[in-house]
Amino acid sequence: MIILFLTSGLLLGWSLGANDAANVFGSAVGSKMVSFRQAAIIASIFVIIGSVVQGAGASDTLGRLGAVNAIGGSFTVALAAAIVVFMMTKFSIPVSTTQSIVGAIIGWNLFTGNPTDAGTLTNILSTWISGPVLGAVFAVLLYILLKALKRKSAIHLVRFESYIRTGLLIVGAFGAYSLGANNIANVMGVFVPAFNLEPLNLKLFTLSSQQQLFLLGSLAIATGIITYSHRVMQQVGNNIMELSSESALVVVLSQALVLFIFSSSGISEFVQKAGLPAIPMVPVSSTQVVIGSIIGIGLYRGARNVNFRILGEIAVGWILTPVIAGVLTFFSLFFVKNIFGINVGSKADGNAGMGLTVQTTDPRVSEIMQYLILCLIAAGLIAVLYYYLLDRKKRTELRKSEEKFWKNMK
Amino acid sequence: MAIFTRTTKNLILQIDEFFDNIDLGLLVFREGIKAYLHGDRESFDRHIQKVELLESNADRLQRSIENEMITHSILPQHRGEVSSLIDLLDEIIDTIKASLTEFSIESPDIPASLHHHITSITEASVSAGEELIPAARAYFKAPHTVREKLLKVYYFESETDKVTKNAIRTIFQDMSELDLAKKSHLRYVIHHIGNISDNAQKAADMLSTMAIKIVM
Repeated sequence: MIILFLTSGLLLGWSLGANDAANVFGSAVGSKMVSFRQAAIIASIFVIIGSVVQGAGASDTLGRLGAVNAIGGSFTVALAAAIVVFMMTKFSIPVSTTQSIVGAIIGWNLFTGNPTDAGTLTNILSTWISGPVLGAVFAVLLYILLKALKRKSAIHLVRFESYIRTGLLIVGAFGAYSLGANNIANVMGVFVPAFNLEPLNLKLFTLSSQQQLFLLGSLAIATGIITYSHRVMQQVGNNIMELSSESALVVVLSQALVLFIFSSSGISEFVQKAGLPAIPMVPVSSTQVVIGSIIGIGLYRGARNVNFRILGEIAVGWILTPVIAGVLTFFSLFFVKNIFGINVGSKADGNAGMGLTVQTTDPRVSEIMQYLILCLIAAGLIAVLYYYLLDRKKRTELRKSEEKFWKNMK
Repeated sequence: MAIFTRTTKNLILQIDEFFDNIDLGLLVFREGIKAYLHGDRESFDRHIQKVELLESNADRLQRSIENEMITHSILPQHRGEVSSLIDLLDEIIDTIKASLTEFSIESPDIPASLHHHITSITEASVSAGEELIPAARAYFKAPHTVREKLLKVYYFESETDKVTKNAIRTIFQDMSELDLAKKSHLRYVIHHIGNISDNAQKAADMLSTMAIKIVM
């Protein structure tokens, strides 16, 4: 039963993959510099690595906003957030998973009578503004730098584009890593207090309980990327503004930098040591950062380049997302509690962040989880291999047909 | 990645070679017309052979460049425009070949008093084409310099129009000794020489738009 509750988190993970991977590779795929297949494989691999290696920081912040203290509550919160993200994705609106989960957690707080930590909420809300602004600033600076570099080096256009393509793949991998590190909290954060799994020894390294959950969540994200992100990638890539190849690189790089900054405790400590206020470890909306970056470049090049109508639709989506997620969570909790009789959590005493009352240490759950993770990893590797072989076959056929053409010409 | 770098290098070399072919074609055309006017048939035939070789080479390169760009997804955003530009440049060498072949088959009888007119038209028309090549090369390496380079193309194109008009006026108003068939034939030959600069202008218009897009 407890594993069944996780499905809503996995659904949210899938939605995040379908929606947010577009932020990392959308501009690259939209500008036709990188094929969707390449983008999907790289994004999937690096999202998984980022989630498992560096996912813990932002997760704590969501826990402080509202520690959902019953697995039934976690299930409902994640499900409501996932439904909202899925619906928005269905209409090709690049919605923020962060906003959705924050709205859902506040909905849970309201339902259970738990106070919403104002400080944490302010921290999160402030990144909804500072994230896109920072993205825009980074994007403009990087754009100016890249343009100047191109002009000064007098590099051949064909070579420049080939460097840009390589850059897009590398920076996209970094962006996917940062996305995993920063946004896995949205997917699995609400389940962390409810699970206490046995460490999973994979010979090379051992995964803690939290890392196992993050790995599972990131595998769901990867599935979302491969199966459904293509449409939103086209939306981000082309509709707001027609992106050149160098703009695409700049957008991906600035997004990756902003996400990395908000999920790296090392940078936060460094800033603190320099006497500045610490950078909050907050799950930033990659959607907002990417759109901020695109607008930054658009405004730098002249406001006429920006499609403000589409931008307006996206902004409305941003406002509606947390509100709808909150309302949906509130009513869903009511049904789950009163109709199905499932405990969705209660008012925690004192510190909201410490209210971790439901934990499972059942060894059978750990065992199931471990087999599940291993099966999913194996399936993922097979899928990547299949994609690779398919790609190779296609290239070989193309090469052969070209050789045949020239042979006939002679 | 190594395969990709090799493809990039090959494509750059092919594009450069294509431009070299057009450039050489223009040079050979100028020399070919000079040889024809001097009555040096042997040299003229040699020039025709050279142009035929350059034209077929340019065709091969054009197909190869387009194939490479498509099969390796190179320049996805500029591919269509680059292909069109190469197509327009190829039209220049096609016109050169057609014009020289016309001289070879039809052997137009050009009166000595018209020689300097034909030389001027050839000179201006070929110069328009020659000024286009550095601009086309600059599109790939320094697109911000393309527009200033194109000014000369427009200048020589309008010069070609001027000298062509003068030559045709001379043929039809001052050379009463020529019959109408001869006059028409000369006009036809002159127009075909002038077509080189017209094609250069078409390519320049396209190049100008392409350069703005890439610089923005």
